[in-house]
Amino acid sequence: MSDRLTVVGRSVQRSDGVGHVTGRTRFAADHTFPGMLHLKMVRSPVHHALIRGVDLSEAEHVPGFVRALTWRDVPHNVYTILGLIGVEPEEEFVLAQDRVRYRGEPIVAILAETEAAALEAVSKVRLDLEELPAVFDVEEALAPGAPIVTHWGSNAFMFEGHPFRRVRFGDVEAGFAQADEIVEAVYNSSPIEQAPMEPTGCIAVPEAGGRFTVYTNTQALYFSLDNTAIILQVPGKRLHFVGGTVGGGFGGKVDVIVEPIATLAAMKTDRPVRYVFSRSEEMQVSSTRSAWRIRIRDGVMRDGRIVARKVTSYADSGAYSRQTPYALTKHAANAAGPYAIPNVWIDAYCVFTNRTPSSAMRGFGVTMASFALEVQMDRIAERVGLDPWTVRFVNAYRNGDVKPHRKVVEDATLIETMQAAADLVGHELTDEQRAMTSAPRDGGAGGGGGTAGREVAGGRGGAAGREGAVGSGSVGTAEGGR
Amino acid sequence: MTVASYFLPRSPAEAVEILAARGPSLMVMSGGTVAMPLVNEGISLPEEVMGLRFAGLDRLEVVDGGLEIGATVTLTRLLRQRTVRMLSDAARSTASWTVRNLATVGGNLFTPPPGGDVATALLALDASVTLTGPAGSRTVPLADFFTGFMTTVLRDDELVTSIRVPAVEGGTAYLKFGRKQANTPSVVTVAVRVVRDGGAVTDARIALGAAGPHPILADGARTALVGSRLDDDAIGAAADAAARESEPFSDGIASEWYRRRMVRLFVRRALEQVASAGAGEGR
Amino acid sequence: MASVVVSFELNGRPAEVLARPMTTLQSVLRNQLGFTATKEGCRQGGCGSCTVLVDGEPMPSCLLPIEDVAGRRVTTLEGITPIDGLSPVQQAFLDGNGFQCGYCTPGMEMLATALLERNPSPGRDEIVEALGGNICRCTGYQPIVDAIEAAAGAASTGER
Repeated sequence: MSDRLTVVGRSVQRSDGVGHVTGRTRFAADHTFPGMLHLKMVRSPVHHALIRGVDLSEAEHVPGFVRALTWRDVPHNVYTILGLIGVEPEEEFVLAQDRVRYRGEPIVAILAETEAAALEAVSKVRLDLEELPAVFDVEEALAPGAPIVTHWGSNAFMFEGHPFRRVRFGDVEAGFAQADEIVEAVYNSSPIEQAPMEPTGCIAVPEAGGRFTVYTNTQALYFSLDNTAIILQVPGKRLHFVGGTVGGGFGGKVDVIVEPIATLAAMKTDRPVRYVFSRSEEMQVSSTRSAWRIRIRDGVMRDGRIVARKVTSYADSGAYSRQTPYALTKHAANAAGPYAIPNVWIDAYCVFTNRTPSSAMRGFGVTMASFALEVQMDRIAERVGLDPWTVRFVNAYRNGDVKPHRKVVEDATLIETMQAAADLVGHELTDEQRAMTSAPRDGGAGGGGGTAGREVAGGRGGAAGREGAVGSGSVGTAEGGR
Repeated sequence: MTVASYFLPRSPAEAVEILAARGPSLMVMSGGTVAMPLVNEGISLPEEVMGLRFAGLDRLEVVDGGLEIGATVTLTRLLRQRTVRMLSDAARSTASWTVRNLATVGGNLFTPPPGGDVATALLALDASVTLTGPAGSRTVPLADFFTGFMTTVLRDDELVTSIRVPAVEGGTAYLKFGRKQANTPSVVTVAVRVVRDGGAVTDARIALGAAGPHPILADGARTALVGSRLDDDAIGAAADAAARESEPFSDGIASEWYRRRMVRLFVRRALEQVASAGAGEGR
Repeated sequence: MASVVVSFELNGRPAEVLARPMTTLQSVLRNQLGFTATKEGCRQGGCGSCTVLVDGEPMPSCLLPIEDVAGRRVTTLEGITPIDGLSPVQQAFLDGNGFQCGYCTPGMEMLATALLERNPSPGRDEIVEALGGNICRCTGYQPIVDAIEAAAGAASTGER
């Protein structure tokens, strides 16, 4: 094979390299157009409030002011990014209507001839807000009496009728009863801003024939186009999105935040409109990696085997869901780790709070699970008096094993990876560890779930999986959707 | 209001004149590294601005073994001078090469905490500030210049025109602690100067940055040192005193709790550095 | 709000612009003159992506009112790109993949150009210190420092 490979193992020049080193690469905000307007947003100064009134009278008199857009101007103002793959309900407001749910939530879009005029007009919009109690902690948000963030009355996202994504595998209580040791811990993480060097932004340009060209740095071009079509209630054929050049994203540019309102502004004014975040907006308003709280309770035998694992996870979605329900689904599928554990129970909550909405960032849903699980593995090793390598080898999953969400493992490489890592750091493995492989275990091709487990739950859309839809022994749902 | 007028005076006299004529609503900008971001983001919306870059306030001279520093001398020039080592260290620890090419020593006196790293060094060096208005100039010790958060004794019609640093007496150390190694706001900044006579401390200045509403002198720490032999006990007592009398705050960089502990740690380290350098006169 | 006329030298050629008071050099370069190699990352002087040379010294163009460069010499990345091929710094960035998304690259290259002008053979520590104000979120900096080292090495051995 290798003699037929032309790129693998060789250094090749990137096709965009010369553009990057000469500065000729055109990023979205590098375009300018005659008559281009500047869009700046009036944002909520508080975390949670009722909007009593918005007074534009002073702003309208700023020289260079062109017009303002409020929720009344948005054809389909309440949407959900993942609505495209069937996630419900629609819940995020393009422009806030009667309530703001996070600090920095957009309320009024100001269009002006210059950026300076737009900023000045923004400063002159008077907001009459009645501040409401706010909640910033996932478990406080789920407690009785907590301020309710959503417009439908619950701070938990509903997964097929459950306020959490569930995985049920074996009998976790029986596992705890049988265990020599119980190892319990809670793991917390903070939100993380992706902080790309290029701020989120786009320029929407009216073209002939009622079409609009949108130069954007989105990481999800068709997601942005389709959601814009929904929000503006126009057929997709009227929208031409130009993207592909992203000045850093890391997941921070997959939400559909700037394109719909910039395109609407271009429609309303028949002029090119530029909407680019300032650095403070990028830090304060653009979605972050979720804050997580992960509680793990493990039943462990003295030889290091984990016989039961119960994980209760909370992702802080902030005020709106964005991509976080999807993160919880991925999380639930991975929350037991790359280990063969006979009894697993996972409840994974997507919780609404008054923080900045969180969304995608590099491995979201899984990254924090891995952090928590691997620290937990070290804790287990400490408790049973084995070295951390041994505990991982003892529990490592293999091909043919069935993961708790009923996925048959086909691509296990944990054992081989650990062997390679041991070589790299000069760690001595036992002969037994050295001889292990990820090949299927003796005496069975498929593991506990049998072939039934091959069917991954769920069908189309994010609303996947039904109770009992998967192989024998299942009483829960599994990963669905994408 | 978008900026209607931007004045660029060509002499100190012209600058003072413009300030007198336009009044206190005139935004005065030295290097622009604090003011420009506020204007760019629309946080400040000044109608009139005066830039001092060409106002003839950029002389840097050695005077009696110390320095006379024009208010608009850049931090790059301060970094490169060889007369006062602590000021070179302070400049190097501040912002980045490109920003230091614009940022000025005078402007650093007005940089809100946790900035003002050069001002902290100047405080330890007993610097004084020359303020110039229509009625002429006056000089005040830097220790008396600051009156509160973003407030000073500067009158509405005055400009800071220069900073005088006397010849350095004693051993000095400057430590800035940030969350990164470069181009980073201060968690705490500590500048110390200790004067000894035959091993006994006769005078000391312990200046703290990001530990109060402006750069402050820890007088209790000074008291703990004077008369001592700069031994471990005295250094420990001074570090404790500095932590007690500091007035740190919480922000996105660090909490009050953490800053207070870092004041203790970095005052200790700075004093240990002076002690281990021996008599270390006039570094 | 009378606009002002400002003349300066841009990449070796005379430039004259009409701008509102205190428009930044960055804005004039990008929005009026179309020199978009100079990027906008923060407009606070904190990221280095808008670095240009003014009279040979690297400066954040977002913090400079256009009036402040009147009569001065401004150099952007467009100005150091030869008609044929690349400058030694650009070639080293290209060869060593001293970039990923490319957004910080112009600022990095301007800084590197200024550094090598002052000090043709900087040590690795000096390169790292010089880059303190230029943020890259993709590479982890090592390929960038490597590229500048390579550019310095190429210059000293007379290559390119």
